[in-house]
Amino acid sequence: MELIWQGIKSAFILIFSGNKEILEIILLTLKVSGIAVIISMVLGIPIGLLIGLNNFKSKRFVITIINTGMGLPPVAAGLFVSLMLWRSGPLGIMGIMYTPTAMIIAQVLIASPIIAGVTLAAVQQVNPKLKLQALSLGANRVQVLWILLKEAKLPALAAIMAGFGGVISEVGAVMMVGGNIKGQTRVLTTATVQNVRMGNFDVAIALVIILLILAFIVNIFLTLIQQRENMTWYQRFWK
Amino acid sequence: MVSKILEIIGLEKKYNSGFSLKVDRLFTEENKILVMIGPNGSGKSTLIRIINLLESSDSGSIYFNDKLITGNGVNKIMVRKEMSTVFQEPLLFNTSVYNNILMGLEFRGKKISGSKEIFNYLIDKLKIKNLLKRNPKSLSGGEQQRVALARALILEPKLLLLDEPLANIDQLSREELRNDLFDILRATGRSTIYVTHDRNEAMIIADSIAVINEGRIEQFGLKDEVFRKPASEFIAKFVGVETLIEGIVAECKDNVCRIKIDGSKNDIFAVAASADQGTKVTVAIRPEDVILYNIEMNPGLSSAMNSFKGEITEIQDLGIFKKVEIDCGFKLVSFVTQNSIERLGLEPRKKVLSSVKASSVHILAGRALNADRQF
Repeated sequence: MELIWQGIKSAFILIFSGNKEILEIILLTLKVSGIAVIISMVLGIPIGLLIGLNNFKSKRFVITIINTGMGLPPVAAGLFVSLMLWRSGPLGIMGIMYTPTAMIIAQVLIASPIIAGVTLAAVQQVNPKLKLQALSLGANRVQVLWILLKEAKLPALAAIMAGFGGVISEVGAVMMVGGNIKGQTRVLTTATVQNVRMGNFDVAIALVIILLILAFIVNIFLTLIQQRENMTWYQRFWK
Repeated sequence: MVSKILEIIGLEKKYNSGFSLKVDRLFTEENKILVMIGPNGSGKSTLIRIINLLESSDSGSIYFNDKLITGNGVNKIMVRKEMSTVFQEPLLFNTSVYNNILMGLEFRGKKISGSKEIFNYLIDKLKIKNLLKRNPKSLSGGEQQRVALARALILEPKLLLLDEPLANIDQLSREELRNDLFDILRATGRSTIYVTHDRNEAMIIADSIAVINEGRIEQFGLKDEVFRKPASEFIAKFVGVETLIEGIVAECKDNVCRIKIDGSKNDIFAVAASADQGTKVTVAIRPEDVILYNIEMNPGLSSAMNSFKGEITEIQDLGIFKKVEIDCGFKLVSFVTQNSIERLGLEPRKKVLSSVKASSVHILAGRALNADRQF
């Protein structure tokens, strides 16, 4: 018990002391996970929309693949990216193994299916007649997708939250492709594992607290967008 | 010369369910209102979706504004931008009423500034001025449909498609909205195809009427023609003909035919160009064409060739009208006002005299009326 208490006390001292290394780890974590989620959104949301709103022959099969991807073990994603980026691998020439770029690629591989799958499920819940209504009002294909995405805004934001939650807490893949190199590829999760291994529980606790606070802040922000009153530009402008 | 805004020729669409839609010819003219009337599942909404290019047909041609809009190479979005549709459900989007109204303009890359006048007219006429900031979810069904109508009308489309826009609204709101909508349609003179299964709406607003049943246009013509001269028993019933009597043509002379009615000593006279003697026919009489007299008062000579003595069997309250059923050897139905009921002292088992002009009696085609699908 003393160990835990001592650990928590030291953690807070560490957090508020403005430790440079911790700060770097936080920034890298936010950078890697943030970029990975943005890329995953760019890939996952349109894929989810297109699959959800269109009927084609192998739709069920494609949905099954995406659903499988949603449960993709991070180590599998890490292994796949490692094999691709390894010096002798197909993309080894790029020389990005053990860099933040490799970590981002691995995280995109994990988050994209999550975002695509949740978006897909979300747009399938939207009244299909709204698509007809949008078309009848003269909307083009992009305008239809956009308006239906806005209809599925709440669950679509849940998709982003799920995607962010998936990557920020992930350790296996980033450890494999990033290598947990101090000052270069060390993020909150890998640093936590490292410090537990070394018995530095105070640092590990501090890192986990920071990780939780970061996840909490990002989710507060997304929840506010998701749950806010449906205010329009018109209302915001005139209020 | 009035030009056709829409013309459909030889259109066919088959579904896996076995249902098929077949329209040999249908058209509507500029600034006129075509009402498509028919029972649920008859294919009215399907036809609207095909006209709006939301569904494709298997064969046939649709000309919109003299341009062919079926087949390959048609820019569907451009065509849709010249129409606008209001469906049975309001189908509003999860944004403010104001944004919903402007949505079609937004899709066209247009600004509100160019449509300010019609916007103000519509929100005033449709009584939604105070709802602009609200989310549609907080509105009643009637209010939502008002917004949907404003959203379609603000686009000032060349052709307005209204697919039973009043069907899902409660009776009280429906009548109010119907009046407001019909005022707007009359005031703007917009070319419209209006789908309904309510013959009263058709009677009020239509210029021409197409009666659709089981995917076929059973009759298409001017309003009076369809209401006065229904082409089949089905249409007659659908357009509110309450009296349908089977008989045999006894003779025809000077464009007036005498129809002998089975089991009745009363013959019925009908104005008809010709009918073969001995042909089995059904005669149709609209209830508003039947005039009732107190039997004790001699109505004197009149131009009505048909006058029948009979006994009232039932009086039903239909709101504005009372439906009076009379047994004259056949069932005759008349619509009268409460005032007439009181003046004539009408009540069940009371004997009355009823009269109908021969020109108000319509002879329906042949005997095999229910199998009549030649249209």
